[in-house]
Amino acid sequence: MSTAELLSVRNLHKKYGAVTALRNVSFTVRKGEVTALLGDNGAGKSTTIKAISGAAPADSGSIILEGQEVSLRRPADANALGIQTVYQDLALCDNLGICANLFLGRERVLWPFGILRDVDMEAEALRVLKTLRVNLPSLDTHVSSLSGGQRQAVAIARAVLWGTKLVIMDEPTAALGVAQTAEVLRLVRDLAAQGFGVILITHNMHNVFEVADSVVVLRLGETVLEARKSELTPEIVVGCITGSRTTVGGTA
Amino acid sequence: MTVNAKDMTSTTQTQSPVRSWTQKLVQSSDLGMAPVIAALIVIWVVFEILNPHFLTPRNISNLSAQIVVTGTLALAETFVILLGMIDLSIGWSSVVAAAVFSVTTVFLNWPVWPCVGLGIGASVIVGLLQGLLVSRVGVPSFVVSLGGAMIAEGVSLAMLTPHGGSIPLSDNLSTMIGTLNIAPTWSWILSLGLFAVFAGVMVSQHMGRMKRGAGEGHSVFFVKLAALFVLLVAAVGTLCAYRGVPWLLLIFLGALFACAFVTKSTRFGRHLYAVGGNAEASRRSGINVRFIQLAAFTIAGALVGLGGLLDAARLGVASATVGDSDIMLNAVAAAVIGGTSLFGGRGSVYGALFGALVIASVTNGMDLIGAPSSIRFGVEGAILLVAITIDTLLRQRRLRSGRV
Repeated sequence: MSTAELLSVRNLHKKYGAVTALRNVSFTVRKGEVTALLGDNGAGKSTTIKAISGAAPADSGSIILEGQEVSLRRPADANALGIQTVYQDLALCDNLGICANLFLGRERVLWPFGILRDVDMEAEALRVLKTLRVNLPSLDTHVSSLSGGQRQAVAIARAVLWGTKLVIMDEPTAALGVAQTAEVLRLVRDLAAQGFGVILITHNMHNVFEVADSVVVLRLGETVLEARKSELTPEIVVGCITGSRTTVGGTA
Repeated sequence: MTVNAKDMTSTTQTQSPVRSWTQKLVQSSDLGMAPVIAALIVIWVVFEILNPHFLTPRNISNLSAQIVVTGTLALAETFVILLGMIDLSIGWSSVVAAAVFSVTTVFLNWPVWPCVGLGIGASVIVGLLQGLLVSRVGVPSFVVSLGGAMIAEGVSLAMLTPHGGSIPLSDNLSTMIGTLNIAPTWSWILSLGLFAVFAGVMVSQHMGRMKRGAGEGHSVFFVKLAALFVLLVAAVGTLCAYRGVPWLLLIFLGALFACAFVTKSTRFGRHLYAVGGNAEASRRSGINVRFIQLAAFTIAGALVGLGGLLDAARLGVASATVGDSDIMLNAVAAAVIGGTSLFGGRGSVYGALFGALVIASVTNGMDLIGAPSSIRFGVEGAILLVAITIDTLLRQRRLRSGRV
């Protein structure tokens, strides 16, 4: 497994009016690894993700992608650099089919008129779904008739389809049952095994210890823990989240 | 999810394709055209029993011309409703088109084709301005189009009142389109030729889908295609037994198929449905939501202009009283009865055809049996309420299963 640095976040600061959301967030994401991002409500997880995905840029601090500092002012900037976010609400159009959702906003078309090349799109979609080992019904099935896990798989497959290096997932298992959670976690592991960097935001400690390679904990807008999973126990992580424990080993 | 996918395939494989298709329809939260076609059959059977003149070639020919204006305006409304919005200005905006056309042809004596362009262009401007307010400023479409309707009414009256409120048309184009039919021989050649092209495209698409293991089974597909062919032969045969296919109908069907192409086969159409289904997700996917909204109102404007000119051609006069009639409400009702969801993102332009057929059939049938307008309005209103109730219940079914 490669351990090259993919994304490095340094000293992010962000204020919303009088409220300081981020005061000093720094962490590193490696290629082929799952980095779990944890923290209590209001710890700054969402704000950090918005900064990386370009939805709401930070006030100061730097984001370094593959050794180069990048400017992420809009979601399109992040997408162009290969950073895709799978939002908690999945951002799918339920009235469209699986394939239409996978290519939404990036349809393959013929000129003139922008005629949809459905055959080509379905072929490419099938190829990607195969590499992800995702099993879905016929690709023109409306997303509205899929299960929660299948919908999650469509959202993840879409992120992968768009030439992605880093996939950010916001609470992917929050609304899922046991079997579907296992399937999505399997998918997360597969993504990392294929060389993608993955940031996984979750509240579920069990998920963290099942799939993460490294763990980052935010508290009150600061990074309070960044460590390999192997150095950690759930008690240490929970202690850092709640603030009952402030330092671990040499990492702070 | 692997388990679920297996479940799905096994249930569909153990049944006949037709049975699984009906089952899908019953359990589906998106019924498509099925309810409106069922309603149409009921309406036709009832009126045929009440008055045997209802299904005669002559009356069917009348009916086919009566659906044209409502259908064209419903087509316009469908683009806006697919976004989850509404355009209340289509009635008066269509009068603006007719007024501009009649003033320029009759009083300025300009050649007829440029005047067609000016008439439609006037309605396009109405749609464009409304679209700008809706998409750029974010004003609710209901209010924008209410204001737009009033302004269009003012413009129409300013042009028509000095001429007594209506301007009779005498140009050859309006007369031909408004009153003449395509000779039976040409009707057959045209319709069979178009069907051959249509069937060719459908079959090649179907084969492509089957190769990838997608789409519906052979039997369902060919039954549908054959049913369509029988329907076409019956319709053209009936019309030719009278005088042939009315020019009005041909133009409406041409507009319908053009809209079907745009909404089903192009990227713009895909984005139209996407924005109607989930505007926020569309925006995050990089779709220019504002442009889609502006374009939908503008296309609606063009179709409204066409509808206004067809109405003037049919009546032989550009008249301000059209705007006061129930032309706009009929169009909205036709779109909704045709299965286009007022919540946005669901429906089809073909709904405009079937919805217009329902409305026109009730109007025509009631006239035929000599029923007063009071009963006609009651029946049309009841059908509309049934349609919107089905739409709402289906949406609740989707919401219950966690799918918005």
